[in-house]
Order: sequence, then structure tokens, then C-alpha cells
Amino acid sequence: MRAFNAELSKLFSLPGIWLAFFIGAIAPAVIAALDSMAQKEEIIAGVSTRLSEVGYIGLALGVQGVIILGVLAVSSEYLTESSESGGGQQITTSLTVVSSRLHLLLAKAGAVTVISILLCIVAIMTTVSATHLVLGEYTPAFEGSKLLGAVWYWTFTALLAFGITVLTKNGIIPLAVLIINTSVVSFSFLLSKVTKLALYLPDRAGTEMFMFTSDRFLSPFTGGLVMFAWVVVLFIAAAIVFHRRDVAS
Amino acid sequence: MSVPSSKKITLILGAELDKLVTLPWTWLTLIGTFIINLLLAAAFTSVGLQGAAGTQSILNIGLASMGYLQAGFLILGILAACSEYTGGQIRTTLTTIPWRGFQLSMKLLALAVITIPAAFIIAASGVLYTFIRMRDTAVGFEINTMIEALAGATGYLTLTALLSAAMGALLRRTTPALVILLGYYFVVSPLTKDFLPGLKKYFPDTVGNYMYMPPSPDEINVLTPLQGTGILMLWTLIFIIVAIVFYRRRDA
Repeated sequence: MRAFNAELSKLFSLPGIWLAFFIGAIAPAVIAALDSMAQKEEIIAGVSTRLSEVGYIGLALGVQGVIILGVLAVSSEYLTESSESGGGQQITTSLTVVSSRLHLLLAKAGAVTVISILLCIVAIMTTVSATHLVLGEYTPAFEGSKLLGAVWYWTFTALLAFGITVLTKNGIIPLAVLIINTSVVSFSFLLSKVTKLALYLPDRAGTEMFMFTSDRFLSPFTGGLVMFAWVVVLFIAAAIVFHRRDVAS
Repeated sequence: MSVPSSKKITLILGAELDKLVTLPWTWLTLIGTFIINLLLAAAFTSVGLQGAAGTQSILNIGLASMGYLQAGFLILGILAACSEYTGGQIRTTLTTIPWRGFQLSMKLLALAVITIPAAFIIAASGVLYTFIRMRDTAVGFEINTMIEALAGATGYLTLTALLSAAMGALLRRTTPALVILLGYYFVVSPLTKDFLPGLKKYFPDTVGNYMYMPPSPDEINVLTPLQGTGILMLWTLIFIIVAIVFYRRRDA
């Protein structure tokens, strides 16, 4: 528990984390508002084909906040200080204090999970109010189960980012890959045209939890399970690698 | 300083090139971009092969991966600028070259020297792969069009790398610069396409698309490749000038 508190305190004192909070709280609302504005007329006329995506599209595309959170939580530990202040890495201190590597990893993952759940709840609040602001009485009802799906999606995405960064020890690759993959032109979308197997990729399976796309493939529950399986596999891999790797390397 | 200024330019350029070439990340990024671009070209080609024969253009499919490819060059530009700030390298740099505007310009020039051949090779490899796979099914194209498109693509990638280097020099930290640029190019920009149709075509990434994409007939008042190049150059220059102004005035 003390390790968990320490991880929370470390996370909140990172300068980059405020960027993550800002993006996480604002981006989904802005995207949802823009999208609602674009199809407001269609919705009022009752001919919109994407009524079920209103608002949720913001939550699907706005996960950058938690991606930054998950990546920074690990990459900040491996950042080499400048040679003027000793050239050390925070990870050596962290492991001196919490000597069990598994505990450290679990505490860190726990802190990331808690913050992403809170951040997603904030994002849902801003997104829902932004959608109401734009669409007024035409806003479709937001179902609790789908919003819960969005919370899971955000949390799993943060943990995926976390796991990948433990493996790469550097924030650049996971940031680039994951941010590009949340965009409209994601790798998964491209690959899904090549092979049906790509529909099982974590982001694609995860969005099934709350987005009703026209070419539905998995049920919300299975989608969530598939994404959870990815997270578990990646986390086990990260734990093994982290357990066996020399910190100095 | 007794060194004549023409000699000074070559010395500084050489030093900046040295720094870029010895950065392991430069090579990792370039090689990674090359491999991923080939994989993406393969994916786009196999999607293209599923379509009706004789309707696809090799150039369109070969350059379809450009959207992803630019990420590699964004990273390259940011790394070139931000690597100075991890640790105290920037102070060493400025001790040996105490002319800030000059030093940053030379750094960007050195970056361009590396980016131009790399961008050309990577863009050409994608088109070449598509050409080999789709030779029989796709409509033929003129060699001139291909050269123009490849030159446009190279120019676009180089200018993008320079723009992101200027952005990196402004922000001085890798992560925020990366998040802002990737977020703009991959999330904000595709989304705003529908909302600001009039202004949107002057934004740096859209304008760049006109540099290599063959003009499509269904779009009205598109820009010519030359206009696209001009506007993107203007964007890059603005960012570079802002970066230099800040660089000169800020405490290192």
C-alpha cells in the first residue's frame, strides 16, 4: 500500500502528467462536440446513420490522455538524468526502496489503473455535457453499460501503453505506435482489410465494448475479454522481462 | 576568431552532421521507418489487389503509406532538436559555437542533408514494391509522373522533418513535442477535415499532400504541387524563425 501511494505521488509530480490530464479531459469532449455539430442536421431530421456513435466517438479517439499516462509512468523511471546531476536513473532508486520487482510493477500498474479510471470518468462527464450542449434535446441517451465499456477501454489502453513501455524502456516507440493507432487511419483498420485476424487486435476488440460499428464482429463482452487477454499477456511478458533484466542495461 | 566565415560554415555543418549521424536513434528511426513502410506498402498492395483489375494506380497505392511514413520523419526531426537537451549537451554546443541563430540553422541544414536521401529511398522503395507486385494488374503510368510524385514526397517529408525539428527546438522536451505533433498530424487533422473545408487546405499537412498526390478530378480548386510546396515552405520557415527567435532569447 505504501508503494502504491509512492507511485501515485511520483505520477502526480511528473510535469508531463498535466498534459495527459488536460488532453484526457478536453480532447474527447472537443471531438464529440465537433462530430455532433457536423451531423446535427442529420440527427434532427432523423436520418443519421451514426446516431449510436454520437459522443462515443470522442471517447474512442480521445484516449491519448491515458496513453501518455501509461507511457510516462514507466519512461520517466528510465530517463537518464543529465550528467551534471549524476547521470542516474530513477529506476535504481525505486528498486532500492521497493526491492521486490513484482511489487513495484504491480504498485505502478495499480496507480496507472486508478488514475485512468478517474480520468475516464472526468472525460465521460465533459463529453456527455459537450454533446448535450451541442445537440440539446436531440441527444441520444447514454447507456450505463456502454459508458462502463468506455472506462474499461481507457484503463486497458493505459495498461497496454504501460506494458509496452516496460518492454521498450523508452517512451518514443509506444507513444508513436499507440497515438497513430487511435487515429481514424489506424494500423488495425488497415490490417483488418487484409486479414480478419486483425479484428482481434486490442484496440479494435476494445472499441466493440462501446462503439456500434456497422461491421460488428465481436459482442461487447467478448470484445472486452479479448482486450483483457491482450493486457494480461503483455503484462506477464513485461513482468518476466522486468524481473530478469539488469536495471543498469 | 580568426577562422574565415566560409570555413566556419563548413565546420559547423560538419559538427552538426557528426552529432546527427552518431545519434543511435537516428539510425533506429530511419531503419524502423523503412521496414514499417515496406510492411505497410505490402498491406496496401494486397488491399489494392483485391480491387478490380486495371483500375488502380500504382502511384496512389505506393504512396498510400505516406500518411504513416511521416511519423518516422516527425520523430527524426524532434530527436535531432531535443537530443541536445537531454543532459547538458546544449551548453557544450553553445560554448563551442556561440552564434545561436547560426547554429540552429546549420543543425536544420544538416538534418535536411540526411533527410533528403532517406526520404527519397524510403518513398521510392514503397512505390517500387507496389510496382513489382501490381505490374500486371494496374494501369501503367508515365515515368515523369512518378519522378514528380517522388520528388514531391521527398520534399514533403523533408519539410515535415524540419518543421518538427523547429517545434522540438521550441518545446525542448521530446515527449510533449511528440504528443503535440503526432496528435496534430494523426488525430486533429483528419478530424478537422470536415469542419473547416475552406481553411483546411492551407494547413501544413494538407498542403503537403498536394505535393505528391496526383490531382483528383472530384476536388474543386485543389492546389498545384508548386503551390503546395510554396505554402508548406512558408509554414516551415515561420516555425523555424519562431524557433530561432526563442532560441536566441532564452536561457539555455
